[in-house]
Amino acid sequence: MTTATTQHAVNASGVWKIFNEGQPNEVTALQDVDLTVDTGEFISLIGPSGCGKSTLLRVIADLTDATRGQMSVAGVTPHEAREKQLYGMAFQQAALFDWRTVRRNVELPLELQGWDSGKRKARALELLEMVQLADFAEHRPWELSGGMQQRVAIARSLAVDPPLLLMDEPFGALDEMTRERMQNELLRIRQDTGKSIVFVTHSIPEAVYLSDRVVVMSPRPGRITDIVDIPLGMDRDEDTREADAFYESVTAVREALRGHVGGSAQRAKIGEV
Amino acid sequence: MSNAATLEQRTPTGNKRSSGFARRLRNGGISTLWALAGIGIVVVMWELVKWLGGFIPMPFNTSDTTMPHVWTMFAAMGEPEVRGSDSTVLDAVISAAFRSLVLAFGGFIIGVSVGLLLAVIMQRFLFAERGLLPFVIASQTVPLIALAPLIVGIGNRIEIGPVQWTTTYSVMFIAAYLAFFPLSVGALRGLQAPTPTSMELMRSYAATPGQMLRKLRFPSSIPYIVPALRVSAAAAVVGTVVAEISAGVRGGIGRLLIEYARQATSQPAKVYVAVFGAIVLGLLVAALVTALDVYLTRNLPKEKNA
Amino acid sequence: MSEQWADRLKYLWPPVLIALVFLGGWQALVVLRNIEPFVLPAPTLIGQEFLGDIGLMWQTAYYTGTTAFLGLVFGTIAGLAMALLAQRFIVVNNLVTPLAAGLAAVPIIALTPILNNMFSITSRTPRVLVTAIIVFFPMLVNITRGLIQVQPTQLELMRSMNAQPRTVLRVLRAPNAIPFFFTGMKVAAPLAVIAALVAEYFGGPQQGLGSRIAGSAANTAYGRAWAYVVAAIITGLIFYLIVVAVERWTTPWTGRSRSA
Repeated sequence: MTTATTQHAVNASGVWKIFNEGQPNEVTALQDVDLTVDTGEFISLIGPSGCGKSTLLRVIADLTDATRGQMSVAGVTPHEAREKQLYGMAFQQAALFDWRTVRRNVELPLELQGWDSGKRKARALELLEMVQLADFAEHRPWELSGGMQQRVAIARSLAVDPPLLLMDEPFGALDEMTRERMQNELLRIRQDTGKSIVFVTHSIPEAVYLSDRVVVMSPRPGRITDIVDIPLGMDRDEDTREADAFYESVTAVREALRGHVGGSAQRAKIGEV
Repeated sequence: MSNAATLEQRTPTGNKRSSGFARRLRNGGISTLWALAGIGIVVVMWELVKWLGGFIPMPFNTSDTTMPHVWTMFAAMGEPEVRGSDSTVLDAVISAAFRSLVLAFGGFIIGVSVGLLLAVIMQRFLFAERGLLPFVIASQTVPLIALAPLIVGIGNRIEIGPVQWTTTYSVMFIAAYLAFFPLSVGALRGLQAPTPTSMELMRSYAATPGQMLRKLRFPSSIPYIVPALRVSAAAAVVGTVVAEISAGVRGGIGRLLIEYARQATSQPAKVYVAVFGAIVLGLLVAALVTALDVYLTRNLPKEKNA
Repeated sequence: MSEQWADRLKYLWPPVLIALVFLGGWQALVVLRNIEPFVLPAPTLIGQEFLGDIGLMWQTAYYTGTTAFLGLVFGTIAGLAMALLAQRFIVVNNLVTPLAAGLAAVPIIALTPILNNMFSITSRTPRVLVTAIIVFFPMLVNITRGLIQVQPTQLELMRSMNAQPRTVLRVLRAPNAIPFFFTGMKVAAPLAVIAALVAEYFGGPQQGLGSRIAGSAANTAYGRAWAYVVAAIITGLIFYLIVVAVERWTTPWTGRSRSA
């Protein structure tokens, strides 16, 4: 038991998640997962359907229990982390409440924490400033585009200023151009706040563009097969998307997904994801 | 619905594959058991209230003449209907309910057919939709049943050729009239339900409007027609019962209700048997519609409710 | 501005035209075929009877309308209370849902004679009660649906924010249920008018629309009976339109494309 655990944003050790254990329709969603996320790191989880990436995120978030294994989040158990609101979460659907204004949607976590209304309002406006939607504070969610709604959802996830952000394919429903803009926004927020981020995605370029490390997973049973370092540094911008190093990293991740590390001795059959 | 339960349903793969029909049957069986439990609770509460009424003042009369014991109600089923008659109360109620069932069913069929026809016309001709739909929708918000005594009155005085219009026809007409509106609305919505993409596909096959109707619109409209059928069936039953009361039609359950209600001071339990008859009538019709529902949706994917 | 009106006119003129054709045809039929008023009165006669005694029309409609309103209020409160129980305790939901579905097909109005016996037939109570029972079920079904059918992602969100069930009810389920409440009301309000009216057929005080329609018909005063029918239709419409107006005023977000 090292004291270094308190410095990790997430520390998973021997985590298993089995659905319907002992029954004929038993499914091993996570098998023996070990993962350490350093404070301030940006990690992506990538893999095909059923590889367990969303499940792993939900175990971290205490939205579901691990069947076996240890998990610490910001130095405490996931349950404590959720109770103390040590993380903020964003989902593929923005899940804004239609009956609240944009500002009141961002205020929601603060309301639940018992902040008084003046402080809530100030903080919400500050957060909307950060995602450049301050002008829309009194609008209704349906008046905003998909990308804007997601920005509000991200602002909401930052409300209690948690050290950790958990994001489950938040840009999955957006078109490519909006997606790239949102990625830039997210990088900027990260640079400004220094938060640790665990990000689930289907998109290889997105994972490479955003992350310090990309965790490659594969299904049946869900497990980590590879972790790819992304040596693109902390200062990334639009030009990074066209740099050689970017393409090399994308290739590295793609090949890791195909099932081999480093070189390309064999080509996997098409369809065998 | 506990939050934890909802969350834990996120299995990545592995849906149970049991036969759709068997599953529906089992679900129906479970629902029926719960319904029976609910009825049991009502019976217990009835007797409880009666017992309490013995020493606590209640805003209503709990004596045995106004609120008979549940077993008295069952006993009354076996008693002769009229002094000296061979048929029991139960016989009378069953035959009356059956007669009403026939009228309600007849009205239902007519109303549904006309409703479907109107929906097809409204879908095909924009003028028909714009001109008629407001009235169809508005008629669902107004008490058309208020017309029941008047329709009976008109019916008593007209002759269509050699056929004498009897009150039976009036009752069926009223039932059909009430069944017609919910079905029109539901059917129209259903006929307009196919996605633009499906319609473009049919157009690319040079399909005629008739073919579009048969091969695309009607099948797509089933999920909308089925709930409308339930509402229509219920409306037909209510219409039949109320029309029978207004029309003074002998032989129907509506008339029996009024008759037995008048005898409530001497034979209090009879009216309850009649009420049970009316309830069973409604349930029977609902069961028939459910059977129709299962048949019509047999090839459709089963929806899961959140 | 005139473009808006031109657009509205497009939707307005077909039903107006149809209404005029219908009424005109009716009038013509009565006049040309010399139909006696006790078979089918002319629209003009009905209009005369209605407007000629509009004070009485209003009084009669007011009586039935009050019964309907009281039944609507009590039935809605009962439905709301039961819905709150049903969303919290699954046992309640399981007990109540099949009963509600079954009773939807049953002529609940048949309970009126029983209630007339239990309560005094000379009071309004049996009618208000049967109306309340009839209103209870659609309100219960719709409100429960609104409380239960929230997006799974929203539930996950609430859990990630460590919200307790009572908070989830207050912050998520209840506001989510408001549009469903109005859907139920749009069914229940006209139903209440119908129930209040039909309940009058089973005897009791005779000042209401149902009693007067049946009474006038029995006295062959058909023009008057039809006038009362017009009053009944207007009453039903008013109830419905009030619900629609309240809905528009309190829930500006319904009918829009929902947010993701």
